[in-house]
Amino acid sequence: MQSLSASTTAGVLLDLSGALILLLAFACLASKLFNRYVAYYGAQSVVLAFAAGTSAAAFHSAELWILAGLTLAIKGIAIPLAARRVLVTRLKLKRDAAMSTGLSTSLVAGGALTAFAYLVTRPALLPHGTVAAAVVPLSTAVILLGALTMVVRRHTVAQLIGWLIVENGVFLGAITLVATFPFIVEAGIFLDIVAGVLIMIVFVSGLTRELAQASAAELRELRG
Amino acid sequence: MTALAIIIVLAPLAGLGAALAGAGARTAGVISAAGAAAALGCAIAMLARLDARPPLSGLDGFLYVDSLSGFFLLTVAGVTLLAALGSVPYIAAQEDAGELSRFQVRLYFSFFSPFAALMLASLETGNLGLLFVLVEASTLASAALVGLEGRARSLEAAWKYVIISSLGVTIALAGTLFLFYSASALHPASNLALTWPYLLAHAHALAPQSLRLAFLLAVVGYGTKVGLAPMHTWLPDAHAEAPSPASAMLSAALLNTGMYAIIRFLAIAHARLGETYPRAVLLSFGFASIVIGALFMVRKGNFKRLFAYSSVEHMGIIAVALGFGGVLGLYGALLQVLNHALAKTVLFLSSGDVSLRYRTREAAKVSGLLSAVPLTGGALLLAAFAVLGSPPFGVFLSELTIVRAGFAGGSPVFPLLLLALLGVAFFAFARTITPMVTGPPPRPEGPLAQPYRDRTAVVVTAAPLILGLAALLVLGLWIPAGLDTVLRHCAAVIG
Repeated sequence: MQSLSASTTAGVLLDLSGALILLLAFACLASKLFNRYVAYYGAQSVVLAFAAGTSAAAFHSAELWILAGLTLAIKGIAIPLAARRVLVTRLKLKRDAAMSTGLSTSLVAGGALTAFAYLVTRPALLPHGTVAAAVVPLSTAVILLGALTMVVRRHTVAQLIGWLIVENGVFLGAITLVATFPFIVEAGIFLDIVAGVLIMIVFVSGLTRELAQASAAELRELRG
Repeated sequence: MTALAIIIVLAPLAGLGAALAGAGARTAGVISAAGAAAALGCAIAMLARLDARPPLSGLDGFLYVDSLSGFFLLTVAGVTLLAALGSVPYIAAQEDAGELSRFQVRLYFSFFSPFAALMLASLETGNLGLLFVLVEASTLASAALVGLEGRARSLEAAWKYVIISSLGVTIALAGTLFLFYSASALHPASNLALTWPYLLAHAHALAPQSLRLAFLLAVVGYGTKVGLAPMHTWLPDAHAEAPSPASAMLSAALLNTGMYAIIRFLAIAHARLGETYPRAVLLSFGFASIVIGALFMVRKGNFKRLFAYSSVEHMGIIAVALGFGGVLGLYGALLQVLNHALAKTVLFLSSGDVSLRYRTREAAKVSGLLSAVPLTGGALLLAAFAVLGSPPFGVFLSELTIVRAGFAGGSPVFPLLLLALLGVAFFAFARTITPMVTGPPPRPEGPLAQPYRDRTAVVVTAAPLILGLAALLVLGLWIPAGLDTVLRHCAAVIG
């Protein structure tokens, strides 16, 4: 399969998108407001859709164009909208205080993981001068940052966003590493993500409700 | 053959149809069991035909069934049949007791069937991308089963399960990407190139650097579903909170599906990287799981958690056997897959009966099973000894094969370590189970609940226990010639 050269326009644009996507993953890790998580995830997905569009234009691939459209519609618009309506607004989520480490510690860890991603993927794995050599370390770093978000944040909504960021990282790797991924598989992955988000939203709402009742019961016990 | 493959996937969906049409627990359960029986029959027919013919391949490689997939199809379909039979009285009794609403009962069967169908489908695809899609979909379907009871604890277990497994499988997808990337030199263009038989046949042309990373990511990713330590943390919670027949499905079918995916990656890694690297990876994760499983079994508490940690231990044993390699190691690993599946299904189904009658899942509150409920108590005891590797049951034979494979492989350190850990696990497990089964019968002031409406339900409860134990006993005494051929074919596929 052909790999784009890093010096073409498409290569430069993909590289730039990858950097932006990494930056937005950092922004999510550093933020403390639920609204911002969703907003950063949405923005990241829009950039990802742009990257997929760039790849589609470079390879003249109709399937990649469809994927870019799906990314924009589902990850960029539908999921953030649903998460904001059903989770953030309805459950009245504002500040996320449940962290297992301090904010600065998690940012330092994020930086270390980014360096690690470069160390693992850069040297021998990828041929120099291709766009894959530039973007795959970025996408690996995004995957690790998403996983880190899931680890340091204890709130279910933050963990859900962390998983979606991991998914975005894998997708970024997929469009640069193997542009010839069969379309039916990509479509299946989209279906999985949508079903996953739906099921997770049910669990998050149910858990929040049950836990609220449990703490109310505790209060009554204390009073009586 | 193609028709058989399609029936295997579609037949279990009969339960979904029944649940959607509004059938109650008994009807939906019986229809699910009938569907599973049809799938099992087709899986056996498929295996018999594969003996003489080349593997079934079609639809651009999206459909691919060889002896190895056939063997796992047999295991998963068999477990589904036993678990569906067990669901009939268990779910009906929970509905009668008012613990599950009518809606929850329908929910159970509408997710049980697709869960089984998706697992069977994931065993029938040769495309590694589609394998990811189906495995992830089966995670989502089973998450609903884990959270079915809707209490804070079961919802939390379901959340933990779905989020950790999804992360794991996504990592496996990254591994799949690196595997495809390692094939860049082949200039693959069609869908066929992304299937594992193609990659296996062209293994010599794969780039070793990215293949190494791909194999590691796949073991970590699919290993999360298998419950290999340290990615096993979702497993005890999910197994403890799910309804017992669903726990049996998780432990005996889902974990094996993950193992199947690892075996496919192992075959490719083996062909290109040689023995040392895959061996090191599998032995590390395998022994970590056996140690964690054995140590956590020492703690007394919820008996379903005990069984769950025993699954972690057994998945570790299978990984170690795959690491030992050689025909003997692979043969033992696959035999262990089947034996563990049967024993664990019987254990979880009998634990369901116990928790219905004693209204608890705490081992300390259960005693005198043999005198109070002789059949379930006996089945629990026999299955416990079977799962611990006592003769004359099948697990003894497979673990013996695995230890022999370890000694044949060179250094005696690993098989000796394995034997020592098996000893620890034996005492830890028996320490909790023996007082439950023997001991004095329950106190007169706390009479046992009578969960079942009629005698039929009691018979249906007993049927899967007896079937499972009988199969285990047969496998311990004698391996049918047909199964032996299949296992040898499988070992040859893995290399």
